[in-house]
Amino acid sequence: MDYLVAVLLPQLLHGLVFGAALGLLALGLTVIFGLLGVMNFAHGELYMLGAYAGIAVIGLTHSFWAALVVAPLAVGAIGALTEVTTLRPLYRREPLYGLILTFGLALVFREGARQIWGGDMRRILPPFTGSTPLLGMTYPNYRLFLLAAASVLLLAIWLFFTRTRAGIVVRAAVQDAEMLDGLGVNVPRVFTLTFAGSAALAALAGLLLAPIFTVYPQMGVEMILLAFIVVILGGMGSMGGSVVAAFVIGLAQSLLTLWMNPQRVAIAIFAIMIVVLIVRPRGFFGREGVLE
Amino acid sequence: MSRALTWRAVLVWAALAALPALPFMSKFYLLLAFDALLFGAIAMSLDLLMGYTGLVSFGHAAFFGLGAYATAVLLERGIVSLWVCLLFAVLVVGLYALVVSYFSTARRGIYFALLTLIFAEVVYTFFRYTQTFGGSDGIQGLPAPSLAPGFAIDTPLRNYYLVLVYLGLAYLVCRILVTAHFGRVLVAIRENEDRARFLGYNVQRYKMAVCMISALITGLGGALYPGRSAFATPDLMLWTVSGELIIMVMIGGLGTLVGPVIGGAFFVLLQEKVSSYVDWYFIVIGLVLIFIVLFMPRGLLGIRGLLGGRRWRATA
Repeated sequence: MDYLVAVLLPQLLHGLVFGAALGLLALGLTVIFGLLGVMNFAHGELYMLGAYAGIAVIGLTHSFWAALVVAPLAVGAIGALTEVTTLRPLYRREPLYGLILTFGLALVFREGARQIWGGDMRRILPPFTGSTPLLGMTYPNYRLFLLAAASVLLLAIWLFFTRTRAGIVVRAAVQDAEMLDGLGVNVPRVFTLTFAGSAALAALAGLLLAPIFTVYPQMGVEMILLAFIVVILGGMGSMGGSVVAAFVIGLAQSLLTLWMNPQRVAIAIFAIMIVVLIVRPRGFFGREGVLE
Repeated sequence: MSRALTWRAVLVWAALAALPALPFMSKFYLLLAFDALLFGAIAMSLDLLMGYTGLVSFGHAAFFGLGAYATAVLLERGIVSLWVCLLFAVLVVGLYALVVSYFSTARRGIYFALLTLIFAEVVYTFFRYTQTFGGSDGIQGLPAPSLAPGFAIDTPLRNYYLVLVYLGLAYLVCRILVTAHFGRVLVAIRENEDRARFLGYNVQRYKMAVCMISALITGLGGALYPGRSAFATPDLMLWTVSGELIIMVMIGGLGTLVGPVIGGAFFVLLQEKVSSYVDWYFIVIGLVLIFIVLFMPRGLLGIRGLLGGRRWRATA
């Protein structure tokens, strides 16, 4: 019982917290994949830019909350600009080019951040400290806030995709962009706005996680691999699948650390993904036949 | 091959062989030339997959790094024969490539790219954290390998000629492969995998074979690396290195063999040149890549095709 409360429960909560943030990151990735057929290698860098934009805004306003609003908007604008100038000309080409293009974008963003903010590790202080008694243990308030905020966001995104016209248009574009075009929808604009939204979500995830993790130019490189794994596990292009897989990976990562050292955990998660790709490449909820 | 092309090939090889005789070729430039040719050859082997078969490997850094570690481990233990090192590298890289190619080639497109990426990350993580192999520092301060007892490859000049021979042999193998029936089948798979299957070709076996060959050429290149640098570190197999190899192929031109050699050399020289002036050379490299994808999708050699010259991209 003591073991449960002192060891297992905090680790379980850590997993949920991390999974929720990972879900925000993976959701944008999977939607972009569904829309453009491109695995966005620059997604990790948008996540990183979110954290740095947060630092910049906090430096100006001394308010974490202002950063939480401004940073995603700024990164979303960068995303929109990037989409219009670089990805749009590639719509009619093989997805391979898009993939390689985003790799180039990632290089530019990463090095750009290093030039502007330097290569040192930075920290963002949580907007509030302290912890709350919970189920016989105490848990940091900021992590609880992070879990709540990310969950609310995930719910809001779900409502957006199911209950609003704009959300339905995006889903239609994932299904069949050509048909949507035929119905008179400005599809390139849908693509641009969705890319901006996905960038903003990545930025939000980066900023929300920053008080727990550290901020440095390479931070996206490691995160993006996990996000890829989540997207594949969930089934490429499946939004619900991505969220479920994000929690699975978040929990697996934090629970496995109880019994293994971190590098073994990393290898174990890679192994999970390899097995899934071989046995069931469409992931948990992917549509049958998609890209198999 | 026409007579003009034969003459041009002879000229290029003669020029490369005579390169060290140029007055400004200091040791530094010889090592730079070594890197240029080495990564040129590796990019060429990746082109077998990317350009001819239409498979994008995001895990070639692992083949390179494993080859380097194979040599490094032997050199560290005093086994300095280059031949033994190369043989060991072939064995290690071959075994790993067998597993990777077996599982990866069962899947297409983005799945192939991601499977190769994840396999490579497993290898990276293993070497990064295993103290037997030096952890994140890797294996440092290695002796030079020797071609025969008493003949060590210990100068930049000898290293340069070694890599030149390697490039020549690798090019020969790749050229023969793509002009043979084998290469035609690869292109058929790239153009329409299902149709190739309906024609009765065992598509996966072909894909596995080309994967193995590409991996072995890359691994042998890696095996030559510690002789030049005296170290092998896990950073050699970081996934961003795989990305750089892809950039080299793209710069040179997919499906041209010669293109990626030029692309690899260009990349190495660009990195060296730019990084000696500014420390934000990754921005320059990223912008070059973006420019090429957007405006020159056929790479440096692709321009020739656009100007009405010979079409370089292999077509069946």
